[in-house]
Formats: sequence, structure tokens, C-alpha cells
Amino acid sequence: MIGVVAGELLKLRTTRTFYGIVLGTLALVLVISLLAGLLGDFERGDTPGRDLLSIAALAQTFTLVFGILAVSTEFRHGTITPSLLVVPSRARLVSAKLVAHLGAGLLIGLAAYALCALVVDLALGSRDIEPGFASGEPFEIIVGGAVAAGLFAALGVGLGALVRNQVGAIVGALAWTFVVESLLTAILGSGSVIGRLGLNGLGAALPGTNFGESTGDLLAPVPAGLVLGAYAAVLLVAGVLVLRRRDVSA
Amino acid sequence: MAHAIEINALSKRFGDTLAVDDLSFSVDRGRVVGFLGPNGAGKTTTLRALLGLVRPSAGTATIDGRAYGALDDPAGTVGAVLDGGMLHPGRSGRNHLLALAPAARIPSARVDELLALVDLEAAADRRAGGYSLGMRQRLGLATALLGDPGVLVLDEPANGLDPQGIRWLRDLLRRLAGEGRAVLVSSHVLAEVSQTADDVVVISRGRSLVQEPLSELVASRGGGIRVAGPDVGRLAELLAGEGAGVHANDDGSIVVTGRGGEQIGRVIAAHGIVVSELAPTGGSLEEVFLELTGDEGVAS
Repeated sequence: MIGVVAGELLKLRTTRTFYGIVLGTLALVLVISLLAGLLGDFERGDTPGRDLLSIAALAQTFTLVFGILAVSTEFRHGTITPSLLVVPSRARLVSAKLVAHLGAGLLIGLAAYALCALVVDLALGSRDIEPGFASGEPFEIIVGGAVAAGLFAALGVGLGALVRNQVGAIVGALAWTFVVESLLTAILGSGSVIGRLGLNGLGAALPGTNFGESTGDLLAPVPAGLVLGAYAAVLLVAGVLVLRRRDVSA
Repeated sequence: MAHAIEINALSKRFGDTLAVDDLSFSVDRGRVVGFLGPNGAGKTTTLRALLGLVRPSAGTATIDGRAYGALDDPAGTVGAVLDGGMLHPGRSGRNHLLALAPAARIPSARVDELLALVDLEAAADRRAGGYSLGMRQRLGLATALLGDPGVLVLDEPANGLDPQGIRWLRDLLRRLAGEGRAVLVSSHVLAEVSQTADDVVVISRGRSLVQEPLSELVASRGGGIRVAGPDVGRLAELLAGEGAGVHANDDGSIVVTGRGGEQIGRVIAAHGIVVSELAPTGGSLEEVFLELTGDEGVAS
């Protein structure tokens, strides 16, 4: 199994997609947090650190897409055939992809939140504004955010295994999180099931930041992580079952 | 001992299409078996079923008596080249091999060895998206040989190879079989197989038409004497009347089987028939193939 994971990590490192996702995430976090930190309309006495750190949550979208690509890219280019010839068990192959992408997703999240925290600290410091964190709070946000990014990658691996069409899986996932879920949350309220247990709500609950809005309705980080992990597990199991039945004919 | 490859009453249905229909054949070590049939005959589906990529609707396809998924060391047991890209265009050939090696516990030194074997060292670090079809095929062969397997399954491996490449492939396959490996190589082009294969399996519409040594196939069905001239119609009647096999070609000539050149010559002389040409057809496998597969072979 270690060898299978090593192979998956090598697959990740040997295309530009991975670097594009890492650089895209970090560049966006850098630019947005820098602009917000330097230009944000804060009064002396405000404590904007927590809100500004929520910018790094955009890493979740990137790692979700990153995870979806894990299986769907193999089908798109036909590399699934040599992959399955070396590792005939669909469960083993998907598990290895899960480990590799969960780990990489965690690191992407960690880097995004750490970069965001650094930029926010410098930007606010230059304006002599206190970020207003409680003791240990940035650490909790960074860890929660990294775990969220990793779990979103895991969710993506399951979704990519389940849905054959790569573009369909990505568009569907983004449309769900950005449009459907956001709309439903707006209509039903952030305390509704969809607000609390939807992907956006869980993604905000793990780091405990909600981009300028109240975090009062959100789950605590640990239950939020468990629910998100359960979603990923369901998708992964369903994905493996579908892959087992699927004829790989190209 | 089980056959290296055994296809047993295999059927595969895709929706309404019966792609493979109750197909059986086997391949033993040390033999190159040509798997022949027109495009769409079910060759690729059969090979994919053998490799655990396609689930059979009925029957079994085994390697050393076991299903592909049940092999302890798949890459070390079977190597396969299948049609259809199978490369990430952004990944270099070397990295393609390196990414597959660790899962099969193959040291990376083997990758360099294989790149040299398939003569791809110069291009190994370029992105595979820019590879020619021939380079892709050679990288595919290197992939198949990663685990130094005793059984090789190759789907149309000569596609895209230039004449030197085809010759190189032929020599490689002969050498691999000479080392005691079982080689199953599919093709819709007979010339590729005719100089390589020991045995042939011919399928059409998913069904097996014949499995026998190539030499027997040619001897029993291919050999014939082609006769042309103004009076061949009469000659055909005479020979057919004596029980010889006569096949009329579109160009007006006939091909006679079951009679030697001299026997035909005596008939010609005895009846004062005028002929312009009388020659052995050299047991053209092409004709056997077309005869066996019927109209589909011509259409493809």
C-alpha cells in the first residue's frame, strides 16, 4: 500500500495541474488578504483578524477540485488502464489516491492559512491595527482550516470516482456550493439544516471563521470535521462501488 | 498446469450489442499467438476482460488459472499494451513509468533499462503530449515490460509504427517468446502477425472462427493455384467436376485448391485450354483471412 501511495504522490508531482492549484490558491490568498488588510475599512479598536483569516477558506474550493481530478483525470486521459493493471483493486487504488490527496490538501490548506495569517499580521501591523485574536486563536483557525482543506480534497476524490464526467463533476460541485447551497442558505437561514450541515457551513465551522458573518449558528469545529468526513466517506464508498462495476474500456 | 492465458466461453454484452460471444481459446508459454479479426470483432473487449478491466457477462478469462484481480503480483505476471492513448499529455515518458513502478514494487533503475530497450531515452523527459504514435506505442511496450512479466497481452501494438518499428517489434516479440513467455498479440493487419505468430485465433463478430498453428491454417486453407486466361471458365467447370476446390476471383481468374500445378496442367493440356497465367498464390494469409471473416473483413 505504501508503494501505491508513493505512485500516487509521484503522479501528483509530475503534472502541472498540481502546481497550478497550489500556486493559484496561494496567489489568490496573497492578493486578496493583502488588499483587504491594507485597504479594509477598519476603525481603531476593531478586531478584524478573524474575518481576514477567513479569506484563506478559498483553499477549500481549490482542494475540492483537486480531489475531483484525482480519478476523473485518469479516465479522461485513459491512464486509468495502466493504473488498474498495476493495482487491479479499485478500492486500493482509490484509497491510495485518498491518502495522497488528503495529505496534499492538508498541506495546501496549511500553506494558505499560514500565508494569510502572515500577510494579515504584516498588513494590519503596518496600519497599527490590532488583529484582536484571543490567545491561541490563530493556531486553531489555521489547523481547522487545513483539516477542512484536506477533507474537501477527500470529498473530491470520492465525487470524482463516482461521477464519470470530469467537467460535469467539477461544474456540479461548484454550482452546488456556490449557487444552490448559498441560495438555500439565504432563503432558509444560516441556522437551517442546509446552513449548518451544508458544505459552506461546515467549511466555515472547521476554522471557525465566517467571512464577516456570525459564527453563532455553525457547528463546533470537531463535529463539523466529523460530518464533513462522513460525507467524504459516503462518497468514497459509493465511488469505489461504482468503479468496481464500471467497464474500463478506454 | 493451467494455460498461461485461457479464455473460456467468454461473452460480453454492451447494451444490445453482443461484443464477445461464447469465445474460447488458450495461449501457452513460449508461443506467440496472433489474435486476428476485423475492426469491431471483439478483440479489444476480450483482452480487456482478460485484464480485469471489463466485467464478462458470462464465462471466464484467466491467467495461470486465476482472474487478473486475484493475481498476487499482476505487473510481474502480465504486461499489457492496450489501444487508446493511456498517457497523461503533461507527464513525461519517464515519469509515466516512474509513477507506475512503486505500486508494483519495481525499482526505478528498471525504468532506465526499459527506456533504453524501447529506444526512447532521447524523448524520455519530454511531455508525452508531443509524442508520435510510434513513440506512444513504444512507451506502452515499456509499461507492459515493467514487471518483467511472463505473459504479454498486446492490442494492435504495431499501430503507428513505421516499417523499421514493425520489424523491431517483430524481433522483440519473437525474442520475448523465445525467453519462454506467452505472447498474445491482436491485429487486424495480417502482415504484422504472419511473420511472428506461431498460432492464430481468428474471430469475427465476437465468435471464434479458427484456432490453429499458422502453418496449418495456411496449408489447409491458404494454398492454391491461380489460373488466368480466356478459357478459365471451362477449366473451372472441369476441375470442379473432378472435385477440386475452385474459387472465382473478381478479375476473372480462378484459384484452385486441392490440386497441384502439374495436375492442373494436365487437365489444361488434355482439353486444349488456353491460359495466360498459372502460379501458386503462395498461401496468402490475406485471402484466408478474408475468406474466414467474410464481407466484414473486406469492409474494414
